[in-house]
Amino acid sequence: MANHSHSTASSTPARAPFGTSEILGLALVAIVGVIAARFLNSTLPALLAALVAGLTPRRHGWSVRAPLGIMCGLIALFVVKLWPSTDVADITAPPSEAGSLLSWVIGLPIGGAIAILFMPRQAHRVLKWSTLAIMIATLGATLPLLRVPMGRAFHFNEDIVWMARFGIHYHVAVDGISIWLVMLTVFIVPIAAYASFGSIKMRIKDWCFALLLLEGGMLGAFLALDLFAFYVFWELMLIPMYVIIGVWGGKDRIKAAIKFFLYTMFGSVLMLAAILYLAYSYAKITGGQPSFDYFELQRVLLPRNVQLWLWGAFTLSFVIKVPMFPVHTWLPDAHTEAPTGGSVILAAVMLKLGTYGYLRFCMGLFPEASAELAANLAGVAVLGGILYGALCAWKQDDVKRLVAYSSVAHLGYVMLGIFAATPAALEGAVLQMVNHGISTGALFLLVGVIYDRRHTRMVDEFGGLAKPMPVYAALFVIATLASIGLPGTNGFIGEFMIITGTFVSNKLGHFNGVQAVGAAIGVILGALYMLSVVQKMFFGPITKKENRRLADVNGRELLALSPLIVMIFVIGLFPNIFLVQIRDAAARVRDDLQTRIDMNPAPQFYKGPMRLLPRRPEATKLTSTAAAEGATAAAPPQAQGH
Amino acid sequence: MALLLAISPLVIVGVGAMLLMMAEAFAKNRGGLAIGATIIFLTGAVFAGAVWMFGIDKLEGIAVLSPWLVVDRFTLFFDALLCLGGALAALLAGGYLPEHNLDRGEFYSLLLFATFGAMTLAAAGDALTLFLGLETMSIGAYSMTAFRRTSARSAEGALKYFLLGSFGAALLLYGFALLYGATGHTDLAGIGAALKAGGVKSPMAICGFVLVLAGLLFKVSGVPFHAWTPDAYEGAPTPGTTYMAVAVKSGAFAMMLRVLLTSFGDPQSMSWSSGWPPVLAAIAVATMTVANLIAGRQESVKRMLAYSSIAHAGYVLVGVVATMRSPQTGVASVLFYLLTYTVSTAGAFGALILCGSRGKEAVSYEDLSGIGRRHPAAALAFALFVISLAGVPPTAGFFGKWFVFKAAIEGGFYWLTIIAFINSVIGAYYYLRVLVYMYMREPAAGAPVAVPMRSGYVTAALLVSAVLVLFLGIDPGRSLEWAMRAATLGGM
Repeated sequence: MANHSHSTASSTPARAPFGTSEILGLALVAIVGVIAARFLNSTLPALLAALVAGLTPRRHGWSVRAPLGIMCGLIALFVVKLWPSTDVADITAPPSEAGSLLSWVIGLPIGGAIAILFMPRQAHRVLKWSTLAIMIATLGATLPLLRVPMGRAFHFNEDIVWMARFGIHYHVAVDGISIWLVMLTVFIVPIAAYASFGSIKMRIKDWCFALLLLEGGMLGAFLALDLFAFYVFWELMLIPMYVIIGVWGGKDRIKAAIKFFLYTMFGSVLMLAAILYLAYSYAKITGGQPSFDYFELQRVLLPRNVQLWLWGAFTLSFVIKVPMFPVHTWLPDAHTEAPTGGSVILAAVMLKLGTYGYLRFCMGLFPEASAELAANLAGVAVLGGILYGALCAWKQDDVKRLVAYSSVAHLGYVMLGIFAATPAALEGAVLQMVNHGISTGALFLLVGVIYDRRHTRMVDEFGGLAKPMPVYAALFVIATLASIGLPGTNGFIGEFMIITGTFVSNKLGHFNGVQAVGAAIGVILGALYMLSVVQKMFFGPITKKENRRLADVNGRELLALSPLIVMIFVIGLFPNIFLVQIRDAAARVRDDLQTRIDMNPAPQFYKGPMRLLPRRPEATKLTSTAAAEGATAAAPPQAQGH
Repeated sequence: MALLLAISPLVIVGVGAMLLMMAEAFAKNRGGLAIGATIIFLTGAVFAGAVWMFGIDKLEGIAVLSPWLVVDRFTLFFDALLCLGGALAALLAGGYLPEHNLDRGEFYSLLLFATFGAMTLAAAGDALTLFLGLETMSIGAYSMTAFRRTSARSAEGALKYFLLGSFGAALLLYGFALLYGATGHTDLAGIGAALKAGGVKSPMAICGFVLVLAGLLFKVSGVPFHAWTPDAYEGAPTPGTTYMAVAVKSGAFAMMLRVLLTSFGDPQSMSWSSGWPPVLAAIAVATMTVANLIAGRQESVKRMLAYSSIAHAGYVLVGVVATMRSPQTGVASVLFYLLTYTVSTAGAFGALILCGSRGKEAVSYEDLSGIGRRHPAAALAFALFVISLAGVPPTAGFFGKWFVFKAAIEGGFYWLTIIAFINSVIGAYYYLRVLVYMYMREPAAGAPVAVPMRSGYVTAALLVSAVLVLFLGIDPGRSLEWAMRAATLGGM
């Protein structure tokens, strides 16, 4: 499948006859591949790498062809290694979990950002390559996560007391849901950075610094299980994104940046208030220290009226980030003004923090309130997100704005799947987060390519682009089809699972069928607006003479785009390697929700008082060590009352 | 001996002020004065720390000082905090005054005398010492405001400050006179005991209470008693502004906490139905909201920072209100907030100083445009302090707000906290404008450009503040522990 995408990309230009250097190079790659395969226990990736490198058009040169081949080989290796239940024998002894691995994952980009500060401002090449090296090192550091079968539990726990008196810990862990978002982050950010180096020409140092800090903040927010640490990371990624939009953005960048910052900050301060209240309630119930630990706070059973308020504060914060109607208005502005690299990261990763946050924190901490209002919010997601977002996208004449509105629509599916909370819907929602990151990331990159050439993004300015830019057109069509969910691409799997899951959901009141139908209509609308723009831009006669001699994608752009295009098919054809990790974690989320709802069924609700539920099995091991640490921390006499 | 040790921070700063004045009179050049003042301040702070570590309980004979001076951990914490603020202001003055042709040595003596007053204020256990300390501090501040003799702005600000400040002091004095009439005590603890025994029933006591409260709010510049602040802050030379925003405000809050919790700490005065908390809560809301809204409309960065300091007084007042339910947490949150506020504000003013040079002082937002490219170090420092003032982690300002809001939530003041949260978002808007101008705008063609200055003193002050901002933002645990231990006022 991987070479399928590449044969599409490579078949169009004239294939030059093989010269000596070609054959020598191909032989070299093949030898290296076979040697590598000897150790990697599979020749398929190596052969694939050689094939792709050999088939790539000659004009790209080996500096493009070799990385392309290696990348395809690595992705194939990824598929082979993660194929479920092929090598059961290997998993008999679960691989050891190095406790500090996740800290490395978070620390590498943040430490790298600080290191970048001390590099000379003029050394552009050094800055760019070290940034990429740090990002790829981070990607490498996350690979051991893939070897662990996640199951229902949290893995790679690291729990360090940060401020003992306030029960604030630095607690990071990964489960079957967050692992894919972490992988998405470390996968997308280097691509966005590499692609942006072609178009960002000023203040390279600040750009590298902002990107690395942003990556560290996002990874921290996905991994943190202490609400305080989560909030710190959540805010930490705000400033770099604000700077990215405000410094390197378009004409109205400052307005867009401030709008983005104030919207997000408004949501997050209310969430901070709710976090404080929750931690304080915990302290009041236990009569001891407050705690910000996710597992501990999950045990707090709040009366309905209190829970609704806290849930509201958390939800507002996440819904602004997603964004959902009616607080989505910052998104089109931010995307239109942001530079390509910023848009890619914003759409592909940052928006996922909203959906992930809702899934993990709103549903985990306030299950009763989430269940009670899921039906209403699902209505908003369908009408305001999927349908309204699609209609808005249809009417845009700026391609980037169109893709931005399509994000509103696509994240409406994710939210709908989360609200529906059936196994299929939840798994589909998590997978769709990754899908959206990949296909929308690719679309934003593609829009950036044409913007770099023409400095305009208006659909009317283009027409018949497929003639001068065949490879570009092919890639754009693939990304478009993935975005509208053609079978065989990743979008289909996610949307299909969400819609089927919504049909059988019992959490959406009487309207689950209507909502599923609405979501299905959204798919049609998606095809309508995406395909009509493709038709206008790429096919038909060339209307403007500036477009006649546009250069096709260059090596850098091809390199940045190809992993995304390959992943579209990898997820589309082999979704199981992803779903197998998500399945148990999603089942856990669902079971937790159901247990709490069954405890206090809907018409009565829980009226109070606040109380603490028993520890849950998967948290026991962890919290017992945490409690022991807490006990030692509390042991020395504290000078409380003088 | 123990007695001398107990008051050693005060003695060091007081004697140091006089020595520095002599040195200034006889010295040929004034180069070392800033260093001298800084050393005196740091010695004072070190001695405060030494007394703390030696142990207040082990000091014999400090009862002699009471009720005029109270030496407890609260006093020592403020001694160190005020000395830190003074030292930062002295370092900034060491760079600023020669650059702007204001190099007259009495500035440093004024700093030291004013700090002496503020430290007395923090230690005062009697209305008389309190008033003495207040006036010593204020007169120093008035003179600093008027320090630019040739500038009409400076004179206007100083006159306003002097008139309104005297008015506020007079209100305070009237209030204490009435309280003396009602209770027969001038010492704060005595007033508190009498009110506790008899309850606040007599109209005289209530009038005195209201006047004292108004006088206190004048000094911390709470809305509607804030009118003098922007003019005084804008007119004063920037190190003087720094000092007023940092040390004078901290001294005033020390006085406020001590008076409220010692004299009006009885259950009736501290109740929501019949005491000061609702009044202060209303004033806190007004202070935050009004100051933040006006600050957003300013074109001068210095004036914006002046309004921002008023807004921060509002956040501190939230912490003061929180002492109603949980005195220790409330006071500790105020102490910690003042610490984070001191380092962030001193840093922000210092960065503003660094961005301008003689005849080309950076005052407005326009002056800052493009600084990010021309002077990256100063811009980075400014950005850090502004982010800290906005309360974004991982900086000191975030934890300051965090603990104040936490104390307020623990005290059950949900609405107050939510208003404070919303205000911090409004605040973020105008703090961000600084970043916008520094990094995202280029100066208009032909516009006068602020030229950054070079000064080792200012750089040193900025480095110290930046390290503290980051340190308090990443590991606030220990300093917070100190603030908790220092929160030992009155009958707590």
